[in-house]
Amino acid sequence: MATVTINGKDVEIGSNERLNCIQAAAKVGVEIPAYCWHPALSVVASCRMCLVEVGDKKPDGTVAMQPKLVPGCQTPVKDGTVIIADSQKVKDARKATLEYLLLNHPLDCPTCDQAGECYLQDYSFNYGRGYSRLNEPKNIKPDKDYIGDQITLFTDRCIMCTRCVRFTREVSGSAELQVVSRGSHEEIDIFPGHPVNNPLAGNVVDLCPVGALCSKDFLYQQRVWWLKSTNSVCQGCSTGCSVTVDQNEDKVYRLKPRVNEMAQGHFMCDEGRFGWKYTHSEERLNVPKIVSNGHSTSQSWEDVLGSVRSSLQKAAAGKQKIAAVLSPWMTVEEAWLLATWIRSLSPQAVLAVGPVRVSGTDEHFPRDLRGNVIEPVKFTIRAEKCPNRAGVQAVAAHFMSDLMPFEELLRLASSGQFSAVYLTGGDPQGWISEMQAEALSDVETVIVQDFLPSPVLQHATHILPSGTFVEREGIVVNHRGLAQLIRRAVRGPDGSRPDSRILWELSGRKGLFQSESLRAEIAAAVPALAGLTHPDLKSTGVLLESAQQVTI
Amino acid sequence: MSVLSEELREKIRAEFPNYPNKRAVTLPALHLVHDNLRAVSREAIVEIAELLELHPAEVHDTMTFYNFFKDEKNPLGRHRVWFCRSISCMLRGGEELLENVCHHYNVHPGETTADGRMTVEFAECLGACEGAPCILVDDVCHMNVNPSTASALIDKL
Amino acid sequence: MATFEPALFARINKPDSASLKTYQADGGYSRLKEFLSMAPGDVTNIVKDSGLRGRGGAGFPTGLKWTFLPKDYPGPIYLAVNADESEPGTFNNRYLMELDPHQLIEGIILACHAIRSQKAYLYLRYEYGTSYRVLDAAIRECRAAGILGTNILGTGVSCDIILHRGAGAYICGEETGLIESLEGKRAWPRIKPPFPAIEGLFRKPTIVNNVETLCCVTQILYRGTAWFKSMGVPADPNNPRDPGSYGPKLYCVSGHVNQPCCVELPLGVTARQLIEEHAGGVWKGRRAKAVVPGGISMGFLSASELDTPLDFAGPGKVGCLGLGTAAVVVVDDQTSMVDVLYNCCRFMSHESCGQCTPCREGTAWMTKILERIRTGQGRTEDLDLLMEVAGSMGIIPGTTICGLSDGAAWPVKNAISKFRSEFEDYIRSRKASVTSAQQLMAVH
Repeated sequence: MATVTINGKDVEIGSNERLNCIQAAAKVGVEIPAYCWHPALSVVASCRMCLVEVGDKKPDGTVAMQPKLVPGCQTPVKDGTVIIADSQKVKDARKATLEYLLLNHPLDCPTCDQAGECYLQDYSFNYGRGYSRLNEPKNIKPDKDYIGDQITLFTDRCIMCTRCVRFTREVSGSAELQVVSRGSHEEIDIFPGHPVNNPLAGNVVDLCPVGALCSKDFLYQQRVWWLKSTNSVCQGCSTGCSVTVDQNEDKVYRLKPRVNEMAQGHFMCDEGRFGWKYTHSEERLNVPKIVSNGHSTSQSWEDVLGSVRSSLQKAAAGKQKIAAVLSPWMTVEEAWLLATWIRSLSPQAVLAVGPVRVSGTDEHFPRDLRGNVIEPVKFTIRAEKCPNRAGVQAVAAHFMSDLMPFEELLRLASSGQFSAVYLTGGDPQGWISEMQAEALSDVETVIVQDFLPSPVLQHATHILPSGTFVEREGIVVNHRGLAQLIRRAVRGPDGSRPDSRILWELSGRKGLFQSESLRAEIAAAVPALAGLTHPDLKSTGVLLESAQQVTI
Repeated sequence: MSVLSEELREKIRAEFPNYPNKRAVTLPALHLVHDNLRAVSREAIVEIAELLELHPAEVHDTMTFYNFFKDEKNPLGRHRVWFCRSISCMLRGGEELLENVCHHYNVHPGETTADGRMTVEFAECLGACEGAPCILVDDVCHMNVNPSTASALIDKL
Repeated sequence: MATFEPALFARINKPDSASLKTYQADGGYSRLKEFLSMAPGDVTNIVKDSGLRGRGGAGFPTGLKWTFLPKDYPGPIYLAVNADESEPGTFNNRYLMELDPHQLIEGIILACHAIRSQKAYLYLRYEYGTSYRVLDAAIRECRAAGILGTNILGTGVSCDIILHRGAGAYICGEETGLIESLEGKRAWPRIKPPFPAIEGLFRKPTIVNNVETLCCVTQILYRGTAWFKSMGVPADPNNPRDPGSYGPKLYCVSGHVNQPCCVELPLGVTARQLIEEHAGGVWKGRRAKAVVPGGISMGFLSASELDTPLDFAGPGKVGCLGLGTAAVVVVDDQTSMVDVLYNCCRFMSHESCGQCTPCREGTAWMTKILERIRTGQGRTEDLDLLMEVAGSMGIIPGTTICGLSDGAAWPVKNAISKFRSEFEDYIRSRKASVTSAQQLMAVH
């Protein structure tokens, strides 16, 4: 163990940890402000915001401090390192750096997206001079809305931290962004005709400490202090990026990646970042229905749920089998509720896992000019687009030794094997074609729980409008077995209900959906999911080793 | 239709053996193209990048660092005349010399004369301070220049 | 003062001085084979013992720098020759390259041998077209004569020189800025550590040496360390960290003198001696108000400081940054220091690479403040503000990545502290002195 002293406080650094001064200070709650440094990018030490005094504590206890300031980001700590981040020298240097950054910075706060989450504002407030000594004209630079389909640049707000340029060179490898010109005339730009439209483009907006690079999707939409953030998991693919969902008054405004070394690291892809709009689609199913002969005969949840229960009980008592499709978009809890309930109605009920959508191949980044991957890989967009195949399969495998693929279930349905099928959808890009849905045309009871219309609705006898991931709480397990919690951030449209509530009530459990006790129940019953009660579940997530081994 | 002739490409390729990677040929390539075509156009940058196996932005950002290279919007005239404005030349009339020439030929620093004959630029210390004020005409330095010797030189271009 | 026998400039006045024939007739390359048969470490030791300090501006002991390379490195190791000479007032490297290229080439070969490098990249500023042509011809002569290439003169040692032209940026004279530029990138100096000796050009161990330094290497090998140490200013015996200022130095003298020139003299000559004994005195019968001691980055000597010895230690004792390139620029007593300082600040803000905040913004701000002062809208507080800004930037306080900032700050510090009353008078007079020429060059 190494002992490092920061502002007089000692902190222990593990022997495996390679930390710089900023990271070491953060361990004891001391902020060393920085712009250009980012844990996922190369160190350039160019913003000069993180300057601190550094020294060495000798074995005899005396401290030898270096005569000049050094950037904290490029100075590794070791046993005996002494960091002073609160001396007058350091404070003066910070004041000076901030003054320099504000010299040519436009007074855009009233209209700038970044206000409220801006490092320039925050550091100026904490460490700045508080007034301007500029009596000269500011440099004015033109705005550039052509930077990317999703990205616009307010050039004179830029503080030249070059995080965005380094991202496109080191993480995406696409090298669209560049610094042009020299000195105080420098600007961020693209090469004409080569905008930043790579699959990871949106991350540069997150990386920008100020409001220079902005998301066109979010531009002028909402002030960040009205937004409420909820930790969740992107449902775009089996990478399962940790995200935050930012909403106000039940309207989602944006998704941002949340740092999680156990999941994806620091970033997320654009498909996930912008791929949640369906949650506010006008086409959302929002009326529960019992359908017979093409007409809906009731539209109240009580009636519909009651009818579902009685239809299934009747079908279970009959000669044919009943079946349920567990969508790989369901949470573990929801899959458990459905599976246990169906099996309680009929021990021979067939459980199948819904269609596992695979699109292309895994996309690794960074990639070079020819599209070849450059090691080490820093980000992957997975070809498997379901967020919880592993979790749902773990639940299904507990009940069925041979998991049935979706196509097989359809084949059985079309050959008249089932009198009732309970289908769960959840894939916003569609999960069943018209031709596939035909297989259910002769099934007597077809229950569809989904949030967007699909061809199967025309064969449905019961329609249960369900919730998207921002409206539900539960566990999803990613490609390598990491179990994470998605959390409810907004209320869905009136008339829809989160799947967990639907299934909790259908299965006859009393009261409100209780996620904690349900997870305990599952963990006790399914060895592969024993980790669900681990405290880490609520922060970084928990690796479920055995969940990876379940395959279809 | 390629902007860089095969001959120009050959000259660029001839530099490859001198360096362990192609990226180091960026400046030599820019010089070759700039001298030849009097500007480095957007298409030329794309073609240089292809030859050097770089992204266009990686060539373009180097190019714009040195305000030496012109793009297709402001190509060079037939000749380029640099007037030093650093301390030793300034102390001996360098700035007045520049002003005189600009006035005489009706051109601003950075611009080309209407007849395309010359592009006038100001330069930082040209390293000929013993002959201040000095000017650099294309690749040849002239020292102890005054407005009349400057005009004489320029008129002969 | 006794006439000094030039060594670096021994051949520059000979007819056809740049040719191989002239160099060899003078004894050049005659002992190259002998030197290349020595162990590399022995060559390094000779250079170390000579006390040679880099002539490019930093004055770091050359032999010592060579020892920073990793031992037994499997290679390649590079030598980068810094021929980017762009410090205003400096033109001595130009003389060496145009008039005696072989002295430099021999120095390059010797240095490469000492550091176990087979390849030297000569980074030459673009504006030195004549130097380029002369060096190119000289290198070809050497290759044809078996002096460059593989198995030089049958010694088994290989060395070649690649000429690489710059594109007009002062920051390419900073050693890691040079390296980045050579690699084809924007010349943004690198953060250190790692130092170039460990990770330099193309991420390989690299030594960057100045042209004049390498020419000194040639003379040291041929004439001996005793000769080199016989001139200059010896190390201060009371200061163990003083490496002394040994050997000859090329001093450039320009500005308001009758005979601007470049002259070779032992280190330690004073500005007054240079002006009066070698440059014909201040022009037009005037007196010197301020003298730049070593390129504008070093600041200014006031009229009462002209007897400061111009060795590595002297200028620092009177508040200048150091000896720098030993380029002396004389400002007469009819020139405004405000104009002079403006010129220096404009240069620095134009050349700032823009990477780090204090230099990028600070140099431009200082220039703008001086512009405002020169339109007659200055205030006395501006002088304190300029001092404060200048004091907050540089590698000396640790706030920037390279020394351009220090070079930008020093003229401001010296000008305002040594000529404060002139600045105050100027401000009080509300004089405007922006010339129409300067308005033409408004983009700085």
